[in-house]
Amino acid sequence: MSSTDLERLMNKWLSAQEFYVVGKKVERADTIEKALGIARYMEDYYMRDMLVIKQVTSKYPHARILSIDDSQAKKVKGFLMNITAKNIPGENQVGYSIPDQPLLADKKVRYVGEPVSLVVASDFDSALEAAQLVKVNYDPLPYVLDPLEAMKRNDVLVHEETGSNIAFRTKVRKGDVEKGFSESHVVVENTYRTSHQDHIYLETEASIAIPNLEGKLTILSPSQYPHLTQKIVSRVLGLPASSIRVVVPYLGGGFGGKDDQGPLTSAKAALVAYLTKRPTFIEYSREESIAVHPKREATVIRYKSGADAEGKLKAIEVEIVHDTGAYANRGPFILWRATMHASGPYVVPNAKVDGYCIYTNKVYQGSFRGFGNPSVQFAAESQMDVLAEKLGIDPLEIRLKNILTPGATTITGQVLDSSVGVKEALEAAALKAGWKEKRKAYSSMEGRFRKGIGIGVAWHGISTSRGVPDWSAGTVKIELDGSVSVLVGIVEMGQGSPTSSHRQIVAEILGVPLDLVHVYFGTSDAPDTGATHASRGTGVGAIGVYVASIELRERLNSLAAKLLNTDPEDITIVDGVVRSKKDPSKSMPWKDLVKSAYSKGVSTTSSGYFFLPKGRFDDEMGQGFAYISYSYMVTITEVEVDTELGTVKVLKTYPAIAAGKIINPVQVEGQIEGAFVQGMGLALTEEFKFSEKGEIINKDLTDYVIPTSMDAPEIAEPIFIEDRFKYGPFGAKGVGEMALIPAPSSIANAVSHAIGKRVTHLPITPERVLKLLEGR
Amino acid sequence: MYYKLPEFEYKRAENLHQALDVLKEGDWKILAGGTDLILDMKIGRQSPKKILDITRLGELRYVRAYNGKMFIGGGSRLQELLENALVKEKLPLLSSAIYEMASWQIRNVATIAGNICNASPAADSAPPLLIYDAKVKLSSSSGSRTLPISEFFLGPRKTAISSYELLEEIEVPTLDGYFQWYYKLGRRHAFTLSVVSAAVALKIENGIFSDVRIALGSVAPKPVRAYTVENELKGKEANVSEIERAVEKVAEDISPISDVRASAEYRFKATKALLKEALFKGMKYFGGGSG
Repeated sequence: MSSTDLERLMNKWLSAQEFYVVGKKVERADTIEKALGIARYMEDYYMRDMLVIKQVTSKYPHARILSIDDSQAKKVKGFLMNITAKNIPGENQVGYSIPDQPLLADKKVRYVGEPVSLVVASDFDSALEAAQLVKVNYDPLPYVLDPLEAMKRNDVLVHEETGSNIAFRTKVRKGDVEKGFSESHVVVENTYRTSHQDHIYLETEASIAIPNLEGKLTILSPSQYPHLTQKIVSRVLGLPASSIRVVVPYLGGGFGGKDDQGPLTSAKAALVAYLTKRPTFIEYSREESIAVHPKREATVIRYKSGADAEGKLKAIEVEIVHDTGAYANRGPFILWRATMHASGPYVVPNAKVDGYCIYTNKVYQGSFRGFGNPSVQFAAESQMDVLAEKLGIDPLEIRLKNILTPGATTITGQVLDSSVGVKEALEAAALKAGWKEKRKAYSSMEGRFRKGIGIGVAWHGISTSRGVPDWSAGTVKIELDGSVSVLVGIVEMGQGSPTSSHRQIVAEILGVPLDLVHVYFGTSDAPDTGATHASRGTGVGAIGVYVASIELRERLNSLAAKLLNTDPEDITIVDGVVRSKKDPSKSMPWKDLVKSAYSKGVSTTSSGYFFLPKGRFDDEMGQGFAYISYSYMVTITEVEVDTELGTVKVLKTYPAIAAGKIINPVQVEGQIEGAFVQGMGLALTEEFKFSEKGEIINKDLTDYVIPTSMDAPEIAEPIFIEDRFKYGPFGAKGVGEMALIPAPSSIANAVSHAIGKRVTHLPITPERVLKLLEGR
Repeated sequence: MYYKLPEFEYKRAENLHQALDVLKEGDWKILAGGTDLILDMKIGRQSPKKILDITRLGELRYVRAYNGKMFIGGGSRLQELLENALVKEKLPLLSSAIYEMASWQIRNVATIAGNICNASPAADSAPPLLIYDAKVKLSSSSGSRTLPISEFFLGPRKTAISSYELLEEIEVPTLDGYFQWYYKLGRRHAFTLSVVSAAVALKIENGIFSDVRIALGSVAPKPVRAYTVENELKGKEANVSEIERAVEKVAEDISPISDVRASAEYRFKATKALLKEALFKGMKYFGGGSG
């Protein structure tokens, strides 16, 4: 099918007004087994005769490895071997964006917790004991921990070959900021800081690798992208990708962390299985998980904004510093996203944004729900409130004056032609929250307990950035009995894309009952569907199965037209009944249509593929096509602050989302609730404390404080603005990350409102609240 | 980091007599619920060579009321105490403290004696027991002795128990006609260690503080009574200025440290704020000034 034919067919489904399963609160395929606790996760596949791995990790922030001595470990019964960088048959290189990162430290370690070797034993106790007995001799080197200091220093280099600790730079240049500030009635400048955040998925990293015949390997991998795991394992072992098969079981949470660490965990298991020819299991303890795997970046953001007397933004000048830790990993992409989103979802005529991704000798940064955006939206949204206050304008009004609407131009000069529902979302949320009344009532509160209400608005580009290729693929196969098998690379990590929205999309288009559709997900056996990240599991990830189903439906319409003696445009198929629209008495069951397809030579398998059309971006000027479309999110949040203890209680939040067509409202509600509470952790309690040596002190769940259900506020039923996106399945965009992005800003703005002082540092701990109140 | 659980000698006692008999040998570490001990062993904080398992001692799981006092078996699980109507009615501070402790799963395993003997400065059951002037019965094969709980705690993870002894029972006098108040300030609303915990009981007669008892957790090397503040208030008129003046003296009762959970400075401020809240509420309870 030509791409124009395909776009014509996609448009037909995009404009659909009546749905039979899409948009309905349908039950997920995995509900019962998860509720009963019989769903199997990675660890449940461990079997007794598998070898087990324990990692030996660095105790120094920066040191040369002089030698690795396993003579004492060898005395442990059950010990098999200690695998180091030298044993890697392929490339010891797993850097995601820059080739700067080994799987196992070679010559040098760059953070406390960096994996140095893999102890292999026949059982857990032997592995643990032997790992304690491996002695690594180090020559300690000077180290840098503070990103602002690391930026300026060239005498201590995390990576000598780079000549600088600046791993990557980004920029945006639009208009003339000096002119913009000179035309401004008010100019405000603040420095914002946010802290590292850990994913704390319930299930820590684990993997199983099983050697097969013909030198092949099967890997059970807790990763968000089976094909990336395949690629990395292939590189580390020096084997062709086609000899490596990856299957992803249900994940006990991903949040981006298993996009980065999943493939590396699997590469470790695969390396041992390859060298020993035996099935191998690895599982991180919680402490190990926290010490080893990448975090959400800590940031320092200097933000200057100017607006005219009416509150129209005239200019912004922003400097973003990301502490990327020991390795760049996805840091450059994270920084890129933060940079392009620096304005918030507003029209800004003059913008100068500079981003710096800085190496330090700390645990490295990586993907985390929101991907660089929550911190910069916190800064941008705080600035909006500060400007409003200086101008004596309501925070809602100043936002509405500047908000993106269809036809508006972003700071990268991209014109947003359609699917821009943020204004409607903001207006609807403000109305539902009772913004005007509450803002006024809370402003005059006195005494120990003070309430506040704050707005957070966010935008988030969907799919990959710039011209970075992104595509979707999937296979749909109608079996002879009429049931449907769907094969996709998208994984199930709690969000329910393959177990709900993919099934709904296929069922809607083919017209089959939902319970006949079965999705085989998270496997490298499927066509490369791209990763389950960037809120793309449904919006982009399902385009492949959407397209495959559309193609099948065209074939079946033609066949049905022949059988019912009408034309293909006259055929409807709904819930397993094939019918003529003009003459509803002409009908046949779905199963008979399928049997006819098999007997009359109509193929019942289709592999769908769609390559997202992208535009050009000029990196020199930071101008051009940034993202194919954006999702938008509003949270309006109420808090109560105890001004004596400094504690903050989040009372209620009102979410509104503009993410195109909502395929399953219950699934989206779940995503919004989870993301908001995770954002609340970032805003209020989650923070790593580092020792003088750059070691994380609170690497356990006693002292790394995530919110519990007892801390969760009331979350109002979300408002959906269905601003359909032309390439998404039925116009769907992305949801997964969205509520986390404005959550911290809405909480920070509410706290600032309650106490009458500006919050600039996350998390907003009781101590920070008291300091603000005391004017320190 | 997690370590391999070290090897140790293990015995399980089927009854109290047997347990005390084993303890006679000395150097046995008691495993009651294990929620502190096993974790400590995994992270290398404790590495006992000999472990005596007393989890099956059903005879140590009871709550009895007698003659104005409550008698709690040391082996009582926290969840059992939380669900006990007598505890809730007669020892509201203890009931509130246990409600805020850990999670249902852990409370079902952890024992009250274990929480006391672990002697964490943050032990949640300690401030209420200090308020009630509880006594602990320490038994060995050669007999029993009774010690006021305030003399039982010696410092962080240090107590007056000897290695031959087992904490058999806690004797808790009840308080009648008192205003009783408990607050656990943690970093979230469940499943958390306290930054400051405070228990207060007081009585006001004819506008005068006739008794004031204050106990605090996580602000000193051990759970403490704030005797200075108590004495400043006893016999004084119940009013705002007396309370504010007395609360300032809490610095003489506590010595908080700065750690990963909070700074010493914050703990001082929070302690004072909590004490004022409790004392003002107490005053209101007895019909005193509006605060």
